[in-house]
Amino acid sequence: VSRRFQMEDNSPAALQNSFNVEEVSQIIKEGIESSIGTSQYQQNKVNQWTSAIIEHCLNHLTRLEKPFKYVVNCVIMQKNGAGLHTASSCFWDSQTDGSCTIKWESKTMHAIVNVFALAI
Amino acid sequence: MQDEPVATEQPQQQQQQQQQKEGEEVANTYVIRPNFESKFRPLLAKPVIHEVLVERLTDKAYDKEATSGLCKELTDEIKARLRANGFERYKFVVQVAIGEQRGQGVKMACRCLWDSDSDNYVQDIFMNDSLFCVAVAFGVFHY
Repeated sequence: VSRRFQMEDNSPAALQNSFNVEEVSQIIKEGIESSIGTSQYQQNKVNQWTSAIIEHCLNHLTRLEKPFKYVVNCVIMQKNGAGLHTASSCFWDSQTDGSCTIKWESKTMHAIVNVFALAI
Repeated sequence: MQDEPVATEQPQQQQQQQQQKEGEEVANTYVIRPNFESKFRPLLAKPVIHEVLVERLTDKAYDKEATSGLCKELTDEIKARLRANGFERYKFVVQVAIGEQRGQGVKMACRCLWDSDSDNYVQDIFMNDSLFCVAVAFGVFHY
């Protein structure tokens, strides 16, 4: 008799607790629009913009009440013709954990927001 | 009711290295916090990142085609070295951003919702005349 132990959990409870990319990307977009949707790049305001975006994202993510730890990262760069490359590499359980990255731009700046969700 | 050790049908679930670290025998360790010695400490992890950046980026100039591949290689290298350094039961997220230096303003910020007793992050910044590079590594304990 050979037994097969599945590592995936397909029960409804598990699916409801998995990482939902669309939901999270919606949260991020709202966060960006509400903080810097109509602003021009200003050196003295970037600090509060990044904080505002990240706090918005984290607040809404916690309201989802899913069993995850979150890491939210935000980069705002002035538009200057310069290039920027970002990459990320993760060592995790790809069945339960996930990430979502949103790139946004306006006339004067670029914004990149990453959300990583790691299951408890 | 105890689960017997999972021995035979595992390989199908484990195609990539990002799956269960414990291998075939999944026994209960009853450990919910990292030991003091095996915590992800910034002091221990920072030299690892610093070495990688200095080794790979000194004397490099910003080149828009090559930098994209370089960025990915850096993240994989940093992740591999962090894994080799111990840190049992930690999940890692490594991020690297390389940008051209042209006098523009950049701001990078991050915030985390986690267990500050067991989880931590480490960062390093490398700059030369033509480029700047920010590397962040987050270590999250898996209960």
